[in-house]
Amino acid sequence: MLGVPGTGLTRLGLRLLATPSLTGPVVALDTRRWISPEAAWETGVIPENLIIVRCDQPQIWSKVTAALLEGVRALYAEVPVGAKEQDLRRLAALARARKVAVAMRPMGNGLPSGVAHLRLRALGVTWEGADQGHGQLRKRRLVLEASGKGAAGVTRRFEVEDEGSHVVRVVSHVVPGEARRAVG
Amino acid sequence: MCVWFPMWSLGRPDAPSDDPLLIVDDRVTGATKDVLAAGVALGMPRREAEAMAPFATVLIRDQGEESRRFEPVVEAIEALIPRVEVVSPGLVFVPISGAVRFYGGEVVLAELVEKEMARLVGQVRCGLALVGVADGPFAARWAAITADAGRPNIVDDTIGFISRLDLAALRESLNADELIDTFRWLGVSTLGDLARLPREALATRFGNPGLLAHRLASGEDRLVDSREIPADLAVDASFEEPLESLDAVAFAARALAERLLRGLRAAGVAPHRVSILAEAAEGAPRERIWRSADPFTEKALSDRVWWQLRAWVEAGGVPGGISRLRIAPADLSDEGRQLGLLQDETSIVEAERALARAQALLGPEGVLQGRAQGGRMPQERVAWSRWGEPSVEEERESSAPWPGTTPSPSPALVPPRLQPLEVEWDGGMPTRLRLGTRWEPVLTWSGPWRLSGRWWAGEQDADRYQLVTSVGAFLCVVSEGRAFLAGVYD
Repeated sequence: MLGVPGTGLTRLGLRLLATPSLTGPVVALDTRRWISPEAAWETGVIPENLIIVRCDQPQIWSKVTAALLEGVRALYAEVPVGAKEQDLRRLAALARARKVAVAMRPMGNGLPSGVAHLRLRALGVTWEGADQGHGQLRKRRLVLEASGKGAAGVTRRFEVEDEGSHVVRVVSHVVPGEARRAVG
Repeated sequence: MCVWFPMWSLGRPDAPSDDPLLIVDDRVTGATKDVLAAGVALGMPRREAEAMAPFATVLIRDQGEESRRFEPVVEAIEALIPRVEVVSPGLVFVPISGAVRFYGGEVVLAELVEKEMARLVGQVRCGLALVGVADGPFAARWAAITADAGRPNIVDDTIGFISRLDLAALRESLNADELIDTFRWLGVSTLGDLARLPREALATRFGNPGLLAHRLASGEDRLVDSREIPADLAVDASFEEPLESLDAVAFAARALAERLLRGLRAAGVAPHRVSILAEAAEGAPRERIWRSADPFTEKALSDRVWWQLRAWVEAGGVPGGISRLRIAPADLSDEGRQLGLLQDETSIVEAERALARAQALLGPEGVLQGRAQGGRMPQERVAWSRWGEPSVEEERESSAPWPGTTPSPSPALVPPRLQPLEVEWDGGMPTRLRLGTRWEPVLTWSGPWRLSGRWWAGEQDADRYQLVTSVGAFLCVVSEGRAFLAGVYD
């Protein structure tokens, strides 16, 4: 998941944990100590099953991620700047072998090719509700570009709508179905 | 018989000798006289105790160290009466039916134990032992709690003794405060009142906790739901090179505890009592029994095995190192964890192991769980606790109305403290803000929403804005003319 902070990718990544959290613990791996569980709860993650793992030391990040991949069913992980390509490839192989759903959010330049099954790049974000001092933020529309094997090798664009307390949903006709299906 | 040192945790060697002292985990486990005089009581929540005795030095409880200090005491009791069962450092139960005949009476035996304890620990900081004798651990525990130091409390009529106890006596054994409050609301105030209610009615209305409460109130706590132990469920491990280092012992303890509970879980049972046996490379084997009111979890069991082995190793009780370890379960019950309809036991156990490994790499502060609490700012609305530990009490009531709270959707990224933010204004309206090295124009915004600080606590008033740019939205706080970042709608 590629995009600068503010585009809504953290919330989308946390939303991916909602369904697995019905059956067991899920983890958000936080490298900046900024992830708020409140946003995850709003998207449907079961509070008792959400664990936040804080790892701000890049040198042990890959070890911690590997340990988590051994046991949890779903993981949203921020990837610190300076994570080694070799480690990322190993982790991707481990996630596939253990059949763990992983959403990675690089803090730096992105992931090496072949690591991600599906790439989501944030192209633009618009908000509804706020108007020159009046109202409040209500609805976010995020335009994403999906590419990679999970998108059948075709680059597609679609829009995701997020109303806070409601389910994040895909509104564009380009890729029908819920966002979680598209991510696989 | 129950032997209890209420202030055992106070005797730690690193404690300052003359200062008022408070030993805590999430609740108070030890306090000096001056701290108790300020209104602090054992079992009180830590935060409350710290507020009542701000002058006290607060130390975090180290049960491993307490176990090591407690081992000679257990050995001394064991020299008088065999089969001592340790519950926690400072608290043991001893079955005495055989020893009473040997020593010639409960009074003689209790005084002998009392004298031996006084000789061993004296009136040092951890205080004298309280000794209680009654039928069953629950009654014996309360006999010890109500005993005076230096005078064993020998209960002849256990049922009568229990029936006079207040309902709060169930709190420690049941861990079900709501149930106790419900009983009170129904007009039940003593255990005698509870025992007089029909058991079937309690079981139907309150389920297992109600049934257990009735059994305890009726003096039937021994071997609650005891089950036949399936074919040998004990686990053991032999070591070609005897374990001498504490790290190796800790690792072995954890692995063995996990193996034991995995086997028991498959058989659908949970242990309330375990026997830990260690064979020394050059010496006699050592055995100790630990018991718990609740079924042992993996963490609770591996902690106890580790404390016990550490106590033996550090006291030189296993000369030449540990060559074989064995943990045998006893007092099995079917009180497993009640899973939700969709929950999957295997995935939960695997996830717990993975999280424990992550915790070992990052430390206890690295793996956290949040709980919703009240507050107006996103920073205030989550109460954090370490994973695997009881959740902290909420600082701000979540059910209170909290007018003026920041509306949902909540920012997904919330800095622990407000971060300075550069915002340009034009006639009170935000025009652009600085993100890293570039300036982004503010496309639109909402606010200001006034946040009135507690002026008496030095808090300033502030205004909140939601600023929208082409790359996202940000929650901004302006106080005393300076702007701060309070959250990113990421």
